[in-house]
Amino acid sequence: MHHAETIDIMQEPRHLERARTVGHQALFVGVAALGAGVAVALFGGKLDGFLKSYLVSYTYFLSLALGALFFVMIQHVTRAGWSVTVRRIAECITAALPIWLLLAIPLIAMAAKIYPWMTQTLLSPDMAALVEKKRQYLNFGFWAGRIVLYFLIWSWLAHFFYRKSIEQDSTGDPKLSHWMHQRAAIGLVLFAFSLAFAAYDLIKSLNPGWFSTMFGVYYFAGSVQGFFGLLIIVVAWVQSSGRLPRAITTEHYHDMGKFMFAFTVFWAYIAFSQYMLIWYANIPEETRWYLSRQTGAWAWFSVFLLFGKFILPFLFLISRWPKRMRELLIVGALWILLMQWCDQYYLIMPAENPESAGAGQLPLHLNDLLCFIGLGGIFIWAVTQRMASCSLVPERDPRLHEALAFENY
Amino acid sequence: MSSTTGTMTATSAHPKTHAKPVSMVLHGLLAEFDDDHKLVAACKKVRDAGYTDWDAHSPFPVHGIDRAMGISMTKLPIFIFFCGALGTATGVIMQWWMNAVDYPFLISGKPFWSLPANIPVIFELTILFSALSAVIGMFAFNGLPRHYNPLFRSERFKRATDDRFFISVLASDPRFNLNSTRSLLESAGAAAVERVDDTSESEAPPRLFIWAHAILLCLALIPIAMIYRARNAPIDYPRLHVIFDMDNQEKYAGKQAANPAFVDGRAMRLPVAGTVARGMLRQDPALTDGRVGDRWLTVFPANVTIDDALLKRGQNRYEIFCAPCHGFDGSGNGRVTDVARERGLGWVEPKNLHDEDVRLRPVGHLYNTVKNGIRTMPPYGDQISGESDRWAVVAYIKALQRSQRAAPGDVPTEKKDELNNRK
Repeated sequence: MHHAETIDIMQEPRHLERARTVGHQALFVGVAALGAGVAVALFGGKLDGFLKSYLVSYTYFLSLALGALFFVMIQHVTRAGWSVTVRRIAECITAALPIWLLLAIPLIAMAAKIYPWMTQTLLSPDMAALVEKKRQYLNFGFWAGRIVLYFLIWSWLAHFFYRKSIEQDSTGDPKLSHWMHQRAAIGLVLFAFSLAFAAYDLIKSLNPGWFSTMFGVYYFAGSVQGFFGLLIIVVAWVQSSGRLPRAITTEHYHDMGKFMFAFTVFWAYIAFSQYMLIWYANIPEETRWYLSRQTGAWAWFSVFLLFGKFILPFLFLISRWPKRMRELLIVGALWILLMQWCDQYYLIMPAENPESAGAGQLPLHLNDLLCFIGLGGIFIWAVTQRMASCSLVPERDPRLHEALAFENY
Repeated sequence: MSSTTGTMTATSAHPKTHAKPVSMVLHGLLAEFDDDHKLVAACKKVRDAGYTDWDAHSPFPVHGIDRAMGISMTKLPIFIFFCGALGTATGVIMQWWMNAVDYPFLISGKPFWSLPANIPVIFELTILFSALSAVIGMFAFNGLPRHYNPLFRSERFKRATDDRFFISVLASDPRFNLNSTRSLLESAGAAAVERVDDTSESEAPPRLFIWAHAILLCLALIPIAMIYRARNAPIDYPRLHVIFDMDNQEKYAGKQAANPAFVDGRAMRLPVAGTVARGMLRQDPALTDGRVGDRWLTVFPANVTIDDALLKRGQNRYEIFCAPCHGFDGSGNGRVTDVARERGLGWVEPKNLHDEDVRLRPVGHLYNTVKNGIRTMPPYGDQISGESDRWAVVAYIKALQRSQRAAPGDVPTEKKDELNNRK
């Protein structure tokens, strides 16, 4: 190789103690915002509206953590070399998953307020009759049990890959990489099913009469797209704090940008595939979901999503240079993160019945912002506590030298 | 320059094939290196010395060699982007033209031009154009395919695909000088430097090569000749049936065979009781047959409204199906009639629709004539399908008849001025 210089990872600053204080501040702001949100909801008497706002930000940050878990496993299963220097940061992001099980408690406790299949009163008689046929799957006990099961799977996977990776920091045992490679294959299968069904249960069952087997993949595509946006931001933060200055290079940003681009296209592909099949068949049970999203202001929101989540990022990221220019890539990553939130808003907020009063209005509310800040603060706290506790790079990973010498050509 | 590109005469580069002396010109210098690190280091030196017409050769891709050689970023992605955009535009325009303009074809009740249905094809064409332009562009930008390179004359160079690394500096480079370039390469760490010569004129390809191509060309004409013959000569054997689809299936149709699938064992099924064949529904004989009992209708059926639209439609149908014989004005002088008269074909002349007997016929009778024909006139019920169209034709005929026997008072005032002015 023409790299005369080889980077000694042990010479790199790779511990970010400051993360702990940042996390505490974020937690404080987050809890305060969430408390304010609950107060607004209680005094305003709109608890169902608050829960929906909560669900939007809940599934949003969940999607980022799941994207991180997917990233970690896919790097192991493909035995990827380039990504070793950014993998630990993704492992830190998965720290939010167990916390998110706790945050599911208010959702599960008050699910009947927003999930229409739980109480017949929220549905039209025809729809209620249809939902009755799904009762064996859509009943409270099974639903809540499934949610807990998904989180147990995810938390277990996240914990396993983090623990083994940390263990390797001290032992440097290459067998651990081999083991993680094997576990990742099984983990990805579990992940695929649990993520898809979680998307059905948490988001799609807001419209219990609707059908789309593609919905899980839709949520997955947006999750990974959003995750790469987050990874770029966190990596840039770590580097701006003076950590890993030479271990992570423009080449790594370029690759993260490529992945963000790829999943931008993948999201559009899946979103369109879901849309086209329903548009073509034109069956009322299926079109009503889109009808809710094409009524009134929601129609404009759909167009905004099409341009904001696909067309603009596509044109922005297609070229090589924005991916290699850190400032531009960060702008792109922030935009992708914003659009992933808008996508959750688009999935969760519109009315179940497109003909109901107010179906065409965007229910923008202060709680949307408060829940975002609240859950975001808790998310940042969970991630930064782990970041502060370990080395920011798997320093004795057997493939680390590949990542350090990595070049795009 | 001229001093450096000296010529020399070699007795032969290939002793077996060339007896006569071939004049050789200097092609360039070839430097050999032991490994890729030395190659990259040497490339930097050659680059910094300002050479432009030179190349590096390695058995495997070497990271960073582009920069070491001073090669600028490839323009291929830009080429691919525009070709991809061309694919997008092709997909849009093609489908718009085909399905919305040139051959409007209703599919699933969607609009003729509906983007969701067209996006898959637009997407595929974008990918196709991008992928093909990437491959073709890569070849074109690299100057490929190139079957011959003077460097192949070097025995040493054969190891460029195995375990040795080379830099070739061509004599066409403006900075090339046999001595100074040689010393540059040697100082850059070359294990060996040799000069490479090329023939001054292009050699004729081997005879075998020419003959092989001529034979292949002739063979390639055979399928074309066979297709030509098949298209122009009668054949008495069935066509070659390559793809069967469902052309030859076992079936009972047309056979009075037994079919065990039915209780009565008959293959030919009777229609279900109460079945009405197409066009045979006669709930309202006045409308469908132009009669009530044995009597022709004398007025139009109640559910036929005579208005402008109906007359326009009647004119349209009349001019397509009736006018060829009866003429545009109904006097029986259509184009077919003219031709028949000219050629003396013994043609039964079509009726002049302004004759008294036709004028006095009840409209029901006219309707029946349109639908079922009369004397030698064949039925037009299948062409002028639907009761409404047939009644429209009858209405138009009545209008034609009226037009030939109108009183001055029938002409509307504004039209009267027009007629007067014309005179």
